[in-house]
Amino acid sequence: MLARIAYELFWIGRYCARAEHTARVLDGVFRVNLQGRPDDPAGVNLSWESLLAMAGAKRSNGDSPPASGGTVIRQLTLDPSSPASVVACVTRARSGCHTVRDVISAEMWEALNTLHLELRDTDLAAALQAGPHSVYALIKERCALFWGLAEQTMLRDQARAFLDAGRQLEAADMVLRMLRVALPPEGGEEGERAAVHDGQAFALLHAVGGFQAFRRSSAAPPHVFPVATFLLFQHEYPHSIAASVAALHASLRAADPRSHDSAPVLRLRRLTADLEFRRGSVDASGLAALVSQIQGELELTDRDIATRYFAGADLRPHVLTA
Amino acid sequence: MARMEPSGVMTGTCAEYEPYAESIDELFAGRGAARPHATALAGTLDRLGRLQLAATSRRREAIFMQQGITFEIPGADGGPSSERPFPLDLVPRIIPADEWTTIKRGLAQRIRALNAFVDDVYHAREIVREGIVPWPLVVSRSHFARAVHGVRPPGGIYCHVSGCDLVRDADGSWKVLEDNVRTPSGISYVLENRLAMTRLVPELFAGYRVRPVDHYPAVLLAALRHVAPSGSRTPTVVVWTPGPANSAYFEHAFLARQMGVELVEASDLVVRDDVCYMRTTEGLARVDAVYRRIDDAFIDPLEFRPDSLLGVPGLMRAYRAGTVAIANAIGTGVADDKAVYRYVPEMIRFYLGEEPILGNVETYLLDDPEQRAYVVSRIDSLVVKPTDESGGKGVFIGPKANEQEIQAQVELIEREPSRWIAQEVVQLSTVPSLVGNGELEPRHVDLRPFAVFGEDIRIVPGGLTRVALQRGSMIVNSSRGGGSKDTWVLQEDGAEPEPLRPTTQHELPTMRGLSQGDWHSQIQQQQQEQRRR
Repeated sequence: MLARIAYELFWIGRYCARAEHTARVLDGVFRVNLQGRPDDPAGVNLSWESLLAMAGAKRSNGDSPPASGGTVIRQLTLDPSSPASVVACVTRARSGCHTVRDVISAEMWEALNTLHLELRDTDLAAALQAGPHSVYALIKERCALFWGLAEQTMLRDQARAFLDAGRQLEAADMVLRMLRVALPPEGGEEGERAAVHDGQAFALLHAVGGFQAFRRSSAAPPHVFPVATFLLFQHEYPHSIAASVAALHASLRAADPRSHDSAPVLRLRRLTADLEFRRGSVDASGLAALVSQIQGELELTDRDIATRYFAGADLRPHVLTA
Repeated sequence: MARMEPSGVMTGTCAEYEPYAESIDELFAGRGAARPHATALAGTLDRLGRLQLAATSRRREAIFMQQGITFEIPGADGGPSSERPFPLDLVPRIIPADEWTTIKRGLAQRIRALNAFVDDVYHAREIVREGIVPWPLVVSRSHFARAVHGVRPPGGIYCHVSGCDLVRDADGSWKVLEDNVRTPSGISYVLENRLAMTRLVPELFAGYRVRPVDHYPAVLLAALRHVAPSGSRTPTVVVWTPGPANSAYFEHAFLARQMGVELVEASDLVVRDDVCYMRTTEGLARVDAVYRRIDDAFIDPLEFRPDSLLGVPGLMRAYRAGTVAIANAIGTGVADDKAVYRYVPEMIRFYLGEEPILGNVETYLLDDPEQRAYVVSRIDSLVVKPTDESGGKGVFIGPKANEQEIQAQVELIEREPSRWIAQEVVQLSTVPSLVGNGELEPRHVDLRPFAVFGEDIRIVPGGLTRVALQRGSMIVNSSRGGGSKDTWVLQEDGAEPEPLRPTTQHELPTMRGLSQGDWHSQIQQQQQEQRRR
């Protein structure tokens, strides 16, 4: 298939996944921050500054006051120019779908186009002010609809494989970013700082929608170490890094008739084995380093993908615009 | 800012709010005059306005129906029951931090005493020998369980979960109206109510630091694990429900889901050689702790009601053998009987050597001829309750009764005096509530805080505030048309929100910005720029 089309599909997948994850996180953090300090060390707390860090956005320095909830919500929801904002992601995914209307199913196009129109025709700023949950619920539902329709109506061909690859890469990237923010930098800290991070681990579960899955799969209390290992290694949980990496690997193998010598496929195979290996050996002090190491691997995978499949053009704009 | 004024006089919705004269209102001191801890809320309510509040209220009902946060209303005269969205009034009830501290300490004290009483009743009976509680009264209680005589559950804990009903009298003092140490329900509504409030009316939280409630399932799970006799294995905990037809099934499923444990029915459990198991796809799996939401009488047909189809034959043997923990313990019903209630302040003095922090409502025992005569003489100003019922069933309210009802009640009392108690009427406090058109009117409320007794007694801040939806009514039971409110316990450091920046003290990691893919626009832009040159 055309490199350009593969590229569009890959990015539709990425933008959809990003919009959905960002909506989940904002919804979760908004709810926990409305309330006071938890009674319990296992309570929930995740600051708005953490969200900015997660999105790689500019943050206030030590002198200026921390970003307020309203500011962060608007920035990460409405800003049309930021690749981190939900609305921008939906707009871009929709324009991608517009380009590849002949490849994806008509119903998928309609689902995303409807979401785009709904967001465009709603006074989103007012809706966010009145209660952001309704906005994020809409986005989560429409994204789920899009993926459900892909499953039901799209041919399982190369195009679908690139769409899925983008989705999985982005899902892994978002969860890794959240883990980076929530994990203690050096690991194994005691006292209050660790408790704060514990609260963040818990918030993290709410934010990725994995609280119930964690409860069902693990007898451990929702403290930082069990939560982080759950999000990293638990194959059965669809948003875990292990599951996303495995699915990404499978998608690229499906997309590439010569996958045996494909650099991104080989890299992912190694990463899958690495994750399996580290699952048994990693301890609390090594978590932060491991997360940032996986991030690095995925960044290289991303570049390998662009090199091999997208006509060798390194079109990533942060390189272009630099 | 409105909340800086000590008690601002409002215009709009709240300005016309008129508390009742005969009871205290928790949010307003007088007509249109919000109490200091309610001024921010009153300001927001006014700003939202009547129409929006009414519209949000209707939206909430639809959402609760969709999410299945409902309860069954039994049909009239045995007709089919109907499903209703659990009623939640959008105006929260606010409890300042210092008041909550008193309630919390008072409840913990009371639960310790009740727990000691249960232990005593089935073992040494010291309180009886001291002549404080009469033994005939204890054994005549319908929930007294001979079958557990001499059985001491792990840690000596009987009342693992309790939900005492508190009321605020006209003088503003908190009193205990009822003790519930069997299977109190309502905690799921506390959590769901809070979630709904943060989603539907987040503006109301502005200016408050409300203590969260959503750690309750974690606290409950830890307590159940604490009492499970599992040795070094990670204990297996289950929630036992009578089944989907039960009116509280929503809550049973909610707790099982939130704790991540199995929700079992009787047919899932089996006892072999005095050990309790559940039937799984991989064969029998050992069960260490059962959080049961089913009455004593139905637990084990071999020991209690032989006609019970809901029970597990042999479970009592396993319980006596100490291989499985049951929460709440069997036989705790003797402590929440309404006739035994009268003795709780004495229990606190006897077992703990302390003065009760929370008082009782004045109660008369009707099998005492003198008290009975006194009660009958002023029955039109008293409340009469059956001792062994819950959910507001069979309650007689003197001031609201007509001549015929009074006569009928007197006959019931004379026929079976030990089945009844009488209490002074409490002028329940009120909280402003939304009525049909979005206006605020006072409605009477009570409070059911939930306590969990594991390694320690933990009480979730707040609890279920039940509200009588009819003007002037004091019947708050949801099965009889009562509603609920979100209950806000404020943080100790006052209502002023502190800037929340738990992580900014230490450096957050810096990550590259999110990348973006724009094949078309990027290439076009490049080309256009090249052409311009």
